[in-house]
Amino acid sequence: MTIWAKISAFLRRIMETVLVAFWRKVAPVKTPEPEYSTALADNLQMHMNLVMPLADQTAVGRAQAVQAVAANIDELFTGLSNVGTVHFARFDLVGGNLCMYSVFDGDFRAYIRDFISVFGSVFDALLGLVADPPPSPSALHPEEFIDWIHRHDAFQIPRDLTSLFPEERNIKNLSRDLVLLLDANRNVQIGRFSGYPGVSVAQIRHGTGMGW
Amino acid sequence: MEPAINWPDLQGNILRGYRKHFVRHLVLTVDRPAAACRWLADATSGDDSRTPQITTAQPWSGDKPTSCVNIGLTASGLAKLGVSPASIASFPHEFVAGMPSRSKLIGDTGPSDPSGWKREWQDHERIHLMISVHADNAAIRAAVADRIMAASGAFRLLAALDGEDFPGGKVHFGYRDSISQPQFYGVHGPDNRRDDQPLVEIGAMLLGYATPVEDIRWRVPSPHVLGFNGSFNAFRVLEQQVEQFEQFLSECADRLMTDPVGKRLLPPGEEKKWTPPMSRRDALREMVAAKMLGRWYNGVPLEMSPHSPSPQPPIGEEKLNDYGYSHDPDGQRCPIGSHMRRSNPRDAKIVQRNTNHARRIIRRGIPYGPMYDPALPVKAERGLLGSFMCASLTSQFEALQYDWTNLGLIDPRITGTNDPILGNNEPLHSRFTFPVGEEKVTFRGFPHFIHTRGGAYLFQPSISAIRYLASLGDGKAARKSSGAAYVD
Repeated sequence: MTIWAKISAFLRRIMETVLVAFWRKVAPVKTPEPEYSTALADNLQMHMNLVMPLADQTAVGRAQAVQAVAANIDELFTGLSNVGTVHFARFDLVGGNLCMYSVFDGDFRAYIRDFISVFGSVFDALLGLVADPPPSPSALHPEEFIDWIHRHDAFQIPRDLTSLFPEERNIKNLSRDLVLLLDANRNVQIGRFSGYPGVSVAQIRHGTGMGW
Repeated sequence: MEPAINWPDLQGNILRGYRKHFVRHLVLTVDRPAAACRWLADATSGDDSRTPQITTAQPWSGDKPTSCVNIGLTASGLAKLGVSPASIASFPHEFVAGMPSRSKLIGDTGPSDPSGWKREWQDHERIHLMISVHADNAAIRAAVADRIMAASGAFRLLAALDGEDFPGGKVHFGYRDSISQPQFYGVHGPDNRRDDQPLVEIGAMLLGYATPVEDIRWRVPSPHVLGFNGSFNAFRVLEQQVEQFEQFLSECADRLMTDPVGKRLLPPGEEKKWTPPMSRRDALREMVAAKMLGRWYNGVPLEMSPHSPSPQPPIGEEKLNDYGYSHDPDGQRCPIGSHMRRSNPRDAKIVQRNTNHARRIIRRGIPYGPMYDPALPVKAERGLLGSFMCASLTSQFEALQYDWTNLGLIDPRITGTNDPILGNNEPLHSRFTFPVGEEKVTFRGFPHFIHTRGGAYLFQPSISAIRYLASLGDGKAARKSSGAAYVD
């Protein structure tokens, strides 16, 4: 890259930063709350993408997170199985974040409550490694825990981008609105695919003879 | 250690039903907060000459009173009385948001959508308080309600909703109601247990105690005096489409009259052994109605008597709840998708394995509108004034409505179907299936038989909390009038 290209890119970044700050002030957008739907397929195979920044994001801190998950992995997996509505769950380290991605059936808050009751104590131990954790233990602070999880759950962008901004009357502003939405939500889920939509985990277990 | 239950501090309608035959719910806006606070102080003063007193849970020493009074407040009502924004923010988010904002979650869509609710429920922010009068007769009900309104001078009446019991404890659709309620540790002992269902922790109903969800305690809103010993009430005006329901039963019976499976469902001649004997068509109608609910019209559970509403020997009143579903895993006796089995799975195997008894709520309902007479059908609005009480609206009432009533997540064999009676059904997709031996009976194309016409999430404060609210009026109201200071 030439020096001029670098200067140009630098200036562009500065202008973008200033512009986003200006937009944030004059035309703020609100992150929409998830809409409930009565359609069956919209109530099964829900996604939770929990992104939890680690308090210590060095290699040492990340290694501690790996050890903490590994030490409790059997209990976590047994708990997830006992919740009864979980299709998949994954624990990942992405950058300095401990992430738990899961696919579950039904209401988000009911899922998290079941989550607390079956392995809240194990999860409390993991949250000891996280920056700005919720009050502990989660069982005594379920509402705060659920709200905290909700805040750390990556915003899910719907297929129809325009549905994000129902109040917007000028189509030319949609790009600006999207930039502001991403400014407010660093982590987002962009799309999801299911090979068997509208089917619960218990239906799959039942149908394949695995027992539910 | 759990705090002992302080009975005089609880509103009396939470842990027990009064079994009064007449109810009036006064839906109110607080026009003058200071006067409203004075009324709250007077209503907890112990001096009935000022205004009818709010009934506590203190056991009655002699005869039952002829009337009882209880209250519930919305979040906007609490704010109107002077509760601070910080305190209101400590209440659960679903309560603060209000019932209309939760409509899709709880199945209030289509004909139940809040946009179609009755006028008095349209402006949710104006609904502040509901005072419920339970009385032995209509005259007492009217007199008590009039005294409340005359004494307060604080409230504007948005609606007076009257409900009256039908003979035999029945409700519209013809079923006997209010047979099963949760029983609680510390409340129901060996001497006063009504059935053999497991006892439930009191924290399922009152804030500040252990809950049925292992180790979990719901947050007590602050200040502690306001939240502790409180409870929530999802109050709903549920209009019942009786004509449609009756017509649906007739269509099902007509089909079963000619379908061979009808003979296996009810062997010909069995209906003549019922008490009273019935025509085959009427018996099949009642059979379908029983399959949809889980009990016969007279309250006899299908699980105990799957083929007849009048088993021999008869099932005593005290035994009507002594059953489970674990011996009927496929729903041969009581369908898995029936209203009762979805709402309270008892000991059945369910998907959310730790919630069998964790979502139990207290249901208190009374019919409104004229009883439907198929011989002389009168077009009129009729339904149920229902109070659904619990300590956590989201983990009990809403979870029931969302996961079990409408999604059928409770069992993979009914996932994707709604409760046939209460569910948010529409003819294009509705389906109710139950097994008859190796075969299955499926009915399709039925509508939403129950339409929500109004409702609110109410907080039912303790007596101490009511005195605290009263004190917000002038800072001293509660102490002056009652002499009993609240304790934080």
